[in-house]
Amino acid sequence: MEYFLSEEQKIIKKLAKRISDEYVSKVAIKYDKEGIFPRDILDLLAYTELTGVYIPKEYGGFGGGVMEMCLVVEELSRNCAGVAVSYAATALGAYPIILYGKEEQKKKYLPKIAKGELIAAFALTEADAGSDVSSIKTTAEKKGDYYILNGSKHWITNGGEADVYVVFAVTDKSKGPRGISAFIVEKEYEGFYCGKKEDKMGIRASSTTELIFEDCKVHKENLLGREGTGFIVAMKTFDRTRPGVAAMAVGIAQGAYEHAIRYAKERVQFGQPLSSFQAIQHMLADMYINIEAARAMLYSTCRMIDSGAKDFSKESSACKVFASDVAMKVTTDAVQIMGGNGYVKDYPVEKMMRDAKVTQIFEGANQIQRNIIASEIIKEY
Amino acid sequence: MKILVCIKQVVNPEKVEYNPETRTIKRNAQHLMNNPADLSALEFALRIKDVYKDVHITTLSMGPSECESKIKELIEVGCDSCVLLSDKRLAGSDAYSTAYALAKAIEKLGNFDLILCGESSLDGETSIVPPQIAEYLNIPHIAFASNIKVLELQRIEVERKVKNTVFKFEVNLPALISVKKESSYLRLPKLSFMIKALSYTPQVLSLDDLENFDFSKVGAEGSKTSVDRFVEQCFEDVKCEIYEEIEDAQIECIADLVTRFL
Repeated sequence: MEYFLSEEQKIIKKLAKRISDEYVSKVAIKYDKEGIFPRDILDLLAYTELTGVYIPKEYGGFGGGVMEMCLVVEELSRNCAGVAVSYAATALGAYPIILYGKEEQKKKYLPKIAKGELIAAFALTEADAGSDVSSIKTTAEKKGDYYILNGSKHWITNGGEADVYVVFAVTDKSKGPRGISAFIVEKEYEGFYCGKKEDKMGIRASSTTELIFEDCKVHKENLLGREGTGFIVAMKTFDRTRPGVAAMAVGIAQGAYEHAIRYAKERVQFGQPLSSFQAIQHMLADMYINIEAARAMLYSTCRMIDSGAKDFSKESSACKVFASDVAMKVTTDAVQIMGGNGYVKDYPVEKMMRDAKVTQIFEGANQIQRNIIASEIIKEY
Repeated sequence: MKILVCIKQVVNPEKVEYNPETRTIKRNAQHLMNNPADLSALEFALRIKDVYKDVHITTLSMGPSECESKIKELIEVGCDSCVLLSDKRLAGSDAYSTAYALAKAIEKLGNFDLILCGESSLDGETSIVPPQIAEYLNIPHIAFASNIKVLELQRIEVERKVKNTVFKFEVNLPALISVKKESSYLRLPKLSFMIKALSYTPQVLSLDDLENFDFSKVGAEGSKTSVDRFVEQCFEDVKCEIYEEIEDAQIECIADLVTRFL
């Protein structure tokens, strides 16, 4: 389908596709099997300047928005969602700085993130605070010019690999969500440790770890926004990065769909290729319809966000929910079409089905997204 | 330092179409690609530019206007300017005529410190164009280089690998070096260069732009060689032999094969 991308957006997509097809495809199965962090691919993305597509020009980036970020994520995900999420997690860590950083903070971190010299991460989730963000227990107690952080974070993407973390902690317990603040924490800070690395079902090339804070001293200059605005920082960031999950889902689905078509044309049963059977044709047609619908919704949402719209939580959540459900359905059907060969690790669709699952879970489970959407539409009418 | 890299747009060998009447290859723009050995030469030029910031890289191609779309790809990796020598009177030129026309174009474009070429083109494979250009320009040349190192301003070291032996040459600039095709691989493009390429138009020269040009030396008429006929090569199916147990003689055979192909 023609999506009327600008010439520059077409170039970004073409370049990301080339890296995905020429480099990511060759390491996807190995990195998944061995859990290897794709630093070499991130270096390629840095060399080609794709690490800076969503960073404003004044901080050394390309000056694009959510759309440009999503185009890269989508193409990388066609071959390996683990690689894509390692790239996207830096965007998740960078967006709070773009949105709420002070000028000095932006100047200090964004140019290096744009050049790929710094990898970022976003540290919000805790053992007892996932979708219920306001229940986080990590504390930040102010002492003089410093905040002292104590607590732990769980399931942090790019954990242990990132150089800069945006960490959310409670500065005033009595104020509930209004008592949460966001801080920039660098990996060398005293009292900051990386804990257990998770052994995941999918996106195994990405690093997901626990983070531990033991009397970690963070200078007050590293407070993002004002004290007590952490919840807003997190929610406004998610509004911009949920389409990234949708892009990941569209990419995974597209990759699985392409493998399924090629296989259906080559595999012969009863003397004819699988693609000649109507049962298979209908499955392929449904895959196409769903992927194009998800992509159309994703790109529309990206355009809405990048146009400067003020409120887009509903649209952002809706494209994440729809695309991730499509990815799960399409990858499952791709495995079904490929039968035994789909179920073993010799073909990538088995990995794609595992990778797809997480898109329904992270950055807010799809159930929570539906709560957000329902709350907005009930308010509207 | 001013570097010129000669880059030919060849037809992708998997999509080649032959015109039996004119005995030439059809140059359909969609099936064109930049000659791999020339891109290897370009990578060496870019590596020199990585180290020495005042390096200016120009590329020179000869061919029909269809080549322009492929020439833009050279801007995407960091070339500063691209020139296309395009003139219908060049059609049917052989290696001798091509070298003459390219040499005259190089003279027109200015004084280059270093001229790089690929060892040969995928379609012609004569390997004689680069040395002939050097002869016309009366500058030293070294063929089949596997590495190039700038020693000091106006002096370079060139390596040529023959089987397991590396020959090292030093030469004063200006010089022309032809590069072996797999001695380096062209880097990925950069986003900012790709954006620049969007609005970039190569400089196009015609034979009328060249000074003291002898028109009798180019085209099918001016060529000293011509293509007599094309023969399609058919490959027999490769037969495999499977050995259950590996014996010493087989190990020697495998070792011999590995040595020959390295």
